Amino acid sequence: MLDTLLPILFFSALALAAIGAVRRVRLWRQGRPSPVPLMRGLAAMPRRYLVDLHHVVARDKRMSNTHVATAGGFVLAALLAIVVHGFGLDSAVLAWALLAATTCMFVGSLFVAKRRRNPPPRLSKGPWMRLPKSLIAFSLGVFLVTLPTAGILPEDAGSWVLALVLTGVVAWGLGELFFGMTWGGPMKHAFAGALHLAFHRRPERFSDKQGGEGRSTGLKALRLEDPKAKLGVEKPADFTWNQLLGFDACVQCGRCEAMCPAFAAGQPLNPKKLIQDMVVGMAGGSDARYAGSPYPGKPVGEHAGEPHGPIVARQGTALVDAETLWSCTTCRACVEECPMMIEHVDAIVDMRRFLTLEHGNTPNKGAEVLDNLIATDNPGGFDPGSRMHWAADLNLPLMADKRDAEVLLWLGDGVFDMRNQRTLRALVSVLRAAQVDFAVLGNEERDSGDVARRLGDEATFQTLAKRNIATLGQYRFARIVTCDPHSFHVLKNEYGELGGNYEVFHHSTYLNDLLENGKLSLKAWKGGLVTYHDPCYLGRYNGEYEAPRSVLKALGIEVEEMARSGYRSRCCGGGGGAPITDIPGKQRIPDMRMNDVRETGAELVAVGCPQCTAMLEGVVAPRAEIKDIAELVADALVIDATAEQGTSQDEATGKARRTAEEMTP
Amino acid sequence: MAFEALFQPIKIGNQTIRNRVVSTAHAEVYATDGGMTTDRYVKYYEEKAKGGCGLCICGGSSVVSIDSPQAWWSSVNLSTDRIIPHFQNLADAVHKHGGKIMIQITHMGRRSRWDGFNWSTLLSPSGIREPVHRSTCKTIEEEEIWRIVGDFAQAARRAKEGGLDGVELSAVHQHLIDQFWSPRVNKRTDEWGGSFENRMRFGMEVLKAVRAEVGDDFVVGMRITGDEFHPDGLTHDDMKKIAAYYDATGMVDFFGVVGSGCDTHNTLANVIPNMSYPPEPFLHLAAGIKEVVSVPVIHAQNIKDPNQAQRILEGGYVDLVGMTRAHIADPHFIAKIKMGEVDQIKQCVGANYCIDRQYQGLDVLCIQNAATSREYMGVPHIIEKSEGPKRKVVVVGGGPGGMEAARVSAERGHDVTLFEAAEQLGGQITLAAKAPQRDQIAGITRWYQLELARLGVDQRLGTRADEATIVDLRPDIVILATGGQPFLSQVPEWGYAESRDESLVVSTWDILSGAVEPGKNVLIYDTICEFAGVSAADYLADKGAKVEIVTDDIKPGAAVGGTTFPTYYRSLYEKEVIMTSDLALHKVYREGDSLVAVLENEYTGAQEERVVDQVVVENGVRPDESLYYALKGQSRNKGQIDIEALYAIQPQPCLSESGEGYLLFRLGDCTAPRNTHAAIYDALRLCKDF
Ligand SMILES: Cc1cc2nc3c(=O)[nH]c(=O)nc-3n(C[C@H](O)[C@H](O)[C@H](O)COP(=O)(O)O)c2cc1C
Ligand code: SF4
Ligand code: SF4
Repeated sequence: MLDTLLPILFFSALALAAIGAVRRVRLWRQGRPSPVPLMRGLAAMPRRYLVDLHHVVARDKRMSNTHVATAGGFVLAALLAIVVHGFGLDSAVLAWALLAATTCMFVGSLFVAKRRRNPPPRLSKGPWMRLPKSLIAFSLGVFLVTLPTAGILPEDAGSWVLALVLTGVVAWGLGELFFGMTWGGPMKHAFAGALHLAFHRRPERFSDKQGGEGRSTGLKALRLEDPKAKLGVEKPADFTWNQLLGFDACVQCGRCEAMCPAFAAGQPLNPKKLIQDMVVGMAGGSDARYAGSPYPGKPVGEHAGEPHGPIVARQGTALVDAETLWSCTTCRACVEECPMMIEHVDAIVDMRRFLTLEHGNTPNKGAEVLDNLIATDNPGGFDPGSRMHWAADLNLPLMADKRDAEVLLWLGDGVFDMRNQRTLRALVSVLRAAQVDFAVLGNEERDSGDVARRLGDEATFQTLAKRNIATLGQYRFARIVTCDPHSFHVLKNEYGELGGNYEVFHHSTYLNDLLENGKLSLKAWKGGLVTYHDPCYLGRYNGEYEAPRSVLKALGIEVEEMARSGYRSRCCGGGGGAPITDIPGKQRIPDMRMNDVRETGAELVAVGCPQCTAMLEGVVAPRAEIKDIAELVADALVIDATAEQGTSQDEATGKARRTAEEMTP
Repeated sequence: MAFEALFQPIKIGNQTIRNRVVSTAHAEVYATDGGMTTDRYVKYYEEKAKGGCGLCICGGSSVVSIDSPQAWWSSVNLSTDRIIPHFQNLADAVHKHGGKIMIQITHMGRRSRWDGFNWSTLLSPSGIREPVHRSTCKTIEEEEIWRIVGDFAQAARRAKEGGLDGVELSAVHQHLIDQFWSPRVNKRTDEWGGSFENRMRFGMEVLKAVRAEVGDDFVVGMRITGDEFHPDGLTHDDMKKIAAYYDATGMVDFFGVVGSGCDTHNTLANVIPNMSYPPEPFLHLAAGIKEVVSVPVIHAQNIKDPNQAQRILEGGYVDLVGMTRAHIADPHFIAKIKMGEVDQIKQCVGANYCIDRQYQGLDVLCIQNAATSREYMGVPHIIEKSEGPKRKVVVVGGGPGGMEAARVSAERGHDVTLFEAAEQLGGQITLAAKAPQRDQIAGITRWYQLELARLGVDQRLGTRADEATIVDLRPDIVILATGGQPFLSQVPEWGYAESRDESLVVSTWDILSGAVEPGKNVLIYDTICEFAGVSAADYLADKGAKVEIVTDDIKPGAAVGGTTFPTYYRSLYEKEVIMTSDLALHKVYREGDSLVAVLENEYTGAQEERVVDQVVVENGVRPDESLYYALKGQSRNKGQIDIEALYAIQPQPCLSESGEGYLLFRLGDCTAPRNTHAAIYDALRLCKDF
């Protein structure tokens, strides 16, 4: 009897899956076009899956083994079962192989089940709770129906009752695993995920065969030339088709949620929910069936959307509230953590672009900052002619005079901030001590465009970028060095699309090079315990985790790492214009970060970003001291005795704190 | 950016000044080596430059000629080429930190003393005596005029060759140039006096000669008054005309403007306004000058606070603010603003200890900052954390000495407990601040309160520490700064008794603290002649009492400094307080409801009586030594301070010796009555090595 039932079962499941797949593809195709090489993508897919995706999954060893067993077992079992049971190929070898595959899958499923017994809050419940059972049903069912084929049991073992029961079990498994895969069940992730990997909008983010690490973190430029084109994403269908596909790949594992600083701070953002809302939106409906953590402070079930309806309502509610989008710090913790390689930040900025460019609706100080950027080329609205006021006593060489320098020192808008001026002065004194041939743009420098871009004002970004590119184009320099990771990222990764290609160094990298080449001599560190905070735009955006640490090491500092450091570093709360849009939560992100610092017992936290410095220093005392890497190096400089006439009081008292600031070697 | 106006660079002549804050010319009294800028001098200015000050104009009243004596105030001597290499050191030290440095040059004419050093004959346009220095002078002759014009030019050359960034010609405070300007002093009828042009001539010749000597690439500024405040002197309108006249030459790169003339005690007090003045009292005069000139205008006079400075600059009244005493009190003024540590700025309280020392020819010191001008000795402005053992330090007494000891010990990283019997910190400062117009002195305490809180000092206020409490804390170091009590028991005939009901006399502390109700008809006997007596008189008169203040000394308030007694006198005369000198308090007795004070003339022995309802005696402080002697026996060092180490700014040797028990030191008035600066200086130099 099984011989007749099983093929029917398998082929109807496959047929239904195929219908589902067509319907699903249609949903994706509502999106805007996005040219990707389809065949090359498909060819690259297995590698992307096995190497890149597993690189992320393998951060959780247990889960990764579970997934290998379950998914590997399933893929093999499904193929073999179609051959063995669908086409009825009577091969003992294949049957044995099928037994092995189902066993493997079964074991994996048990682990999946175990994890679901007491799931962490980041995991979605709902249909996901039945998935382990379905996996067990499939693997066990197929195992049992294969026993006769393998010759372990006689063909007619058991009664028809048993056969019916087994058929039921297999049907359940097939229903979840074949039918559910394309009809919106949890297994959708495998189908959409595989295609998402193949047709990913950022193929550069995957590693290559030569072992080169893949990275693609710069936002994609909006084409502003077409006056009729809608700017940014208003409706789900305004995303590109492969973005929609990407959303569909979400496994609701909540790893993003667990890492998101805004979520932890109780701001109304949860990256997982956001992705799920996009999934709801592309098919149409409400979020009522969402079974994970909501946006903090926003109950589930009150929002709904449709593919061609607005995501953010001008009034009332639609799919997502604007404040959700404005809570994001663009820290990329979610993207870094997502095993499905989903690009949350792209999506958020796409939606912000629409709000800012089409609605002119940037909350709180947003509009003012953007106006300032347009009028004064800096977010604070300072007189653009006052950019160099901080350095009136430093006699910095200007590019306009020199025209040619080894290093173009990009100062950033920190020139207007007294705290960051200290970092800049420290950096200048270090560059001078190392006798680096450098020059600055001075009043010709403009805001890099970072904030404008993250706030969705692509037009202002592009204007600023193009003007900076034109200015830079007038001069000859080997590389740009900056102490601002935001400028660093934009100059390095986002100006290229607009025609500006440079070798750009974050100062920590550059200082590390100077140290390695013996250009600086340093006094040994005498202070207390130190920890290091990875700036998002240096670490996750640009993969630079090592240089700052090795500079600290050269200073004789042994870094006491925070629980969340490196690629898992917790954002300071300062990126993405978040301090400007200032969406309230239950606590402040920098406070949480300083708690991370406190847990290490460090007296000092070394940073490498003006924004991080400002955010962390805004935390009320008692707290660790905050110093930029450049300041630490400047404090430790051993300056050539011949260069310094007369002993100055700063050396006598050993207190370099104020010295580094005011010193003009 | 906060304080944006403050941090806007500005060009003066060929120099870019990094911010708008100037330490204006003040006679430092440090050029002790025949007028050379010594190590002390250089370090003093280097500290300001390191602290971020934009422009230092050093060498107040530095002389260009040898008949303008420099030695009285150890001012800088630009009459010889010997100064040039010294200037090079000075310029390097300031430039190294991004600062700019210029020097004020002058001939003081009659405004000096002749009775010493070269026994110079002082000069003035019309030979009229100068009252403040009681100096007589001759009428200057044409040959001397031209010699001095040439001296100015040579002095400017020396400043330029020494690498300084500019000179400021002093035409203020009644020096020779403005002696020619002012019809009050210039009665000449030749071409150097009379008409406007004639009175301007000397200054103009000086300016032309200086400019011709130094060329265009060197800053030459002028400091002028905004109004002499004398009916026969230069008015604000005169000064506008004068400023415009010199500005029109195009040879002046900046003007400094000071409110008030300066050749009487009363006007002199305006020039360096003490704490009785409102903020920036004479800004309007500088603003008036700014209206008529085309170059930057600097104004100093009671600008103490960064917000105030920002407001003045934002308002566009002047281009640069002088914050001179502000920098004497805290040379790291700018750095602290930039560090976001505005609360940590030690703000000048206008006690004028600095200038009142200067007028006596003593080196300029700050009442509350003992590190100022002692940088060269290694007295630090910023206290380094100790690398040695962490100690338990107990400080008893929250007056200036105790507060400084607690602060410095805490900065060193020690565990500090501070006991103060009163409910608040401050000690005698708290009393001093009770007098009319003297409330700002409490700023000294306010800074310590903030610092001690920031440093986490365990403050036990309202707690009188005794031997047992102290020993129980198992201290490594005990510092006693318990002060003393008014010394009323010295003369038994005064009738002082512990019980207030029985005592015939009360102290100035009783009055100022409010412990004793003010009488209606009060005699104050003040044999000390410092602040407490006149403060009590002012306080009582303010409360409506009829007051006579009597002293056996020259005059009540005679020991109050030259820029401060005038403001007391203004207030006392206005309230009809009677000031009587040369009478000692012989005896007090009771007669019915009244008290009779028997006064005896110091010089004739004649006695006279006053019938009053309250007798207040100011006879200084008697040290409170009881706790010291209770603790001395058990202490390791028997309470002794190694004075050689102390004076050499070296660690106390006993700190590095080990042993059982605690080290004991005492500071301030509980040893012998001195003053606030003495207590703070001892505390700093003693505790900096803990
Ligand atoms: C100790 C001392 C000495 C001074 N000597 C001079 C001087 O020689 N020449 C001068 O032009 N001003 C002199 N001044 C005045 C200062 O330049 C300044 O105008 C005054 O202190 C008011 O500014 P402030 O309130 O910022 O302290 C002196 C001030 C002080 C405190
Ligand atoms: S980028 Fe950072 S803040 Fe934004 S959603 Fe992702 S994790 Fe949250
Ligand atoms: S977006 Fe990625 S990390 Fe977040 S729940 Fe989905 S799969 Fe997990």
